[in-house]
Amino acid sequence: MPMNRKNFFKAIGASALAAGLPGCSGSGGRETAGAVPLHRREPVVTPGPKMAVVTGADPEAITRRAIQEMGGIGVFVSRGDKVLIKPNIGWDRVPAQAATTNPQVVATLVAMCLDAGAARVTVLDNTISEPRRCYMRREIKKAAEEVGAEVPFVENYNFRKVNIGGELIREWPVYRKALEVDKMINVPIAKHHSLSRLTIGMKNLYGLLGGRRNQLHQDVHLSIAEMTAFFAPTLTVVDAFRILIANGPSGGSLSDVRQANTIIASVDPVAADSRAAALFDIDPQEIHYLVLGSQMGIGTLEVESLEVKEVAI
Amino acid sequence: MRTARRISQAFFFALFIFLLIMTEYKGTDEIKYPVKIFFDFDPLVALSTFLAAYSVPKTLLWSLLVVGLTLAVGRFFCAWVCPMGTLNHLLSHNRRKAAEKIRRNRYDKRQGWKYIALVFFIVAAMLGLQIVGFLDPFSVLIRSFALAVNPAFNYLLRAMFYPLLSLDWPWLTALIEPVFTFFRKFVLSFEQPYFYQGLFIGLVFVAIAVLNQVRRRFWCRYLCPLGALLGLFSRFSLLRLQVDEKTCTGCMSCVENCEGACEPQSSQSWIRSECMPCWNCVEACPHGSIKIRLALPRIADRSVDFTKRQVIASIGSAVGALALFRIDGRKVAPSASVAETRESKRFNPALIRPPGAVEEREFLTRCIRCGECMKVCIKNAIHPTLMEAGLEGLWSPYLKMQLGYCEFNCTLCTQVCPTGAIQELTTEQKHQTKIGLAFFDKNRCIPFTLGRDCIVCEEVCPTPKKAIIFEEVEVTDPAGNRVVVKQPRIDPHLCVGCGMCEYVCPLVDKPGVYVTSIGESRSKDNQLLLDVYGSGITK
Repeated sequence: MPMNRKNFFKAIGASALAAGLPGCSGSGGRETAGAVPLHRREPVVTPGPKMAVVTGADPEAITRRAIQEMGGIGVFVSRGDKVLIKPNIGWDRVPAQAATTNPQVVATLVAMCLDAGAARVTVLDNTISEPRRCYMRREIKKAAEEVGAEVPFVENYNFRKVNIGGELIREWPVYRKALEVDKMINVPIAKHHSLSRLTIGMKNLYGLLGGRRNQLHQDVHLSIAEMTAFFAPTLTVVDAFRILIANGPSGGSLSDVRQANTIIASVDPVAADSRAAALFDIDPQEIHYLVLGSQMGIGTLEVESLEVKEVAI
Repeated sequence: MRTARRISQAFFFALFIFLLIMTEYKGTDEIKYPVKIFFDFDPLVALSTFLAAYSVPKTLLWSLLVVGLTLAVGRFFCAWVCPMGTLNHLLSHNRRKAAEKIRRNRYDKRQGWKYIALVFFIVAAMLGLQIVGFLDPFSVLIRSFALAVNPAFNYLLRAMFYPLLSLDWPWLTALIEPVFTFFRKFVLSFEQPYFYQGLFIGLVFVAIAVLNQVRRRFWCRYLCPLGALLGLFSRFSLLRLQVDEKTCTGCMSCVENCEGACEPQSSQSWIRSECMPCWNCVEACPHGSIKIRLALPRIADRSVDFTKRQVIASIGSAVGALALFRIDGRKVAPSASVAETRESKRFNPALIRPPGAVEEREFLTRCIRCGECMKVCIKNAIHPTLMEAGLEGLWSPYLKMQLGYCEFNCTLCTQVCPTGAIQELTTEQKHQTKIGLAFFDKNRCIPFTLGRDCIVCEEVCPTPKKAIIFEEVEVTDPAGNRVVVKQPRIDPHLCVGCGMCEYVCPLVDKPGVYVTSIGESRSKDNQLLLDVYGSGITK
């Protein structure tokens, strides 16, 4: 290639591009620090009870009933809302192994939100096992997409470093979607966890974080409480249809699974977890992140103090 | 016919790219279209595997079809099918003057190199040294594409999209996110792949590509041992090139366009084993003087020059290579029965083979370093070795747990191996297969050194009954407080060596828990537990 003028400019252009590319990608972890949390959801005032606990053999029926008992999905989701449903899809396990949220429970909630007029329902989780296997083989993607949700894989470029506003966690990379939606429904499964004793709703919110999540265990209780305060889920629906009582949170053995046939729905994330702890015969006072959560004013440990509707179908 | 050839080449090259893209997890536990299909038609791999390991997977018998067709119509495979040939063909284009093209397309004695290389690899395989993967065209092609070309392509596309997507301009995101999602779903790898030595393997490939500017199809003419093997078969083929001397004006247009440098300018000069039947000469001849037809071969036909002396030197080199390759620190005993007593007790802790890999000695007689297991690995854990398995095992697969880990329910790498170096496993068999064993470094592990909780390793340990256990111990933290922390330990009977603990350890530079190869199911000797080695029961 002779070095005439045209080629010379081509070469300049190419090298400028080459030099520019790495500079551009440096902006991947852009900070929005200093600002207040992008999205503070106002707590929903329910006309009915603050918590519903429904037991029964059909996951879909008990999910629907629990929402109905709290006044119906319309209380939580308004027409035109963008809704994020956050199940636990973290592990490459089948639903029977009780390491991930029951796909039927998730699909039921998706359908209800869309019926209530939600503009868009997104289901996602930053998984721990390989994401495709968690999403596809565990059937959550299929079940939720069939009823009209979008179930995107987590993309690296979608994390934004934001001000969390905690004592321990000042700022952290959070998934963009969680900052943008109008309503967030947290749909955890109730499981044993060696470090935090139980992982239910509050810890499930780790799944919206990016960055060095493996450091959070160093102060697991405070980080869980602070993340819950930051995300302030509109509604927590605990899938306790099957619960994992040992070798959690990954499980894998059916002998560690107990059929609890229960759905716990609540606007109070601390109370939801406290009520689920009872299924494991654990006093919520023994779980430090619940104690911290109640001290921080996120919710209450004393489930009895709330108006609770218990139904068996 | 030239058009037909081009269509055929385009088809097989597209097939190769399609299969390469499909050699990834696509939502099902089985790989439906692995790129190993190309190896099934590679007689060089079939022959050398048979010589080195005494058995071949049944699928490799398809290669006999290629042998049969070559016996009939010569090296059609090189010109019509081989994607490596097609790539070299494309890269051979140049704008040299006609006279210069003719000069560079004349037969060159050095085209005998590939036959010498073939003899070397075959003799080495007979001696149990299977190193044909360094030059087998499919091994080179798949390895280069999987470990270098594809990652580089992925990197460029992501480097283009990521900065734009992180600008958070809603209109821009709305415009290009669907494009990126489309690419990610159908063309790109799911995650950006990274490979240890990817750059090095890529540079070797660039060198092969650039050589095409020295001589057209340099690789195919001078280096390719598969081309040499097919060349040997084609000497007995029915392929015949006939030049009508009455109409030929000696313009040399045929030579100017020749792919194989097979001297097509006259029936006497034509070298059958070098001819790729590309039909360029037939199409280029302004007088229609050249015809390719089928006829019985004649003994007087011209053949490639390589001397007895060269063949003997090549055999000698293979013997020498065997000796040199086996005197490194691995202590490879000359006989398997010796291995059980005194030799071969030095195992490399880093040499963690994929699950389903056969015992190391047999593994090396089978692995052809094609890189398919590395391409398909769902967590990008499998990488090519440098010296971990000796020079003999260069570029064979091993797991680097800091870059990825072995996903507990995944069996993909066991499904794509063309030669049986990695045996297919069911998910249940895979769960029982140990590829190594994890150990804690108490001088680094956080609960041991800092008096803080951590046990992320225990959280993620994927065996149904966790192989990482812990005990609550009261320790003094750096500030002098007495605190109770959970200190992890390994249950060696439960640990399968998957390396997820090492992968997630917060000590990201040098993990506080790491996997080494000891305890691997495939080895009888690389064991530490008496009850496993002796197969009895201890308490």
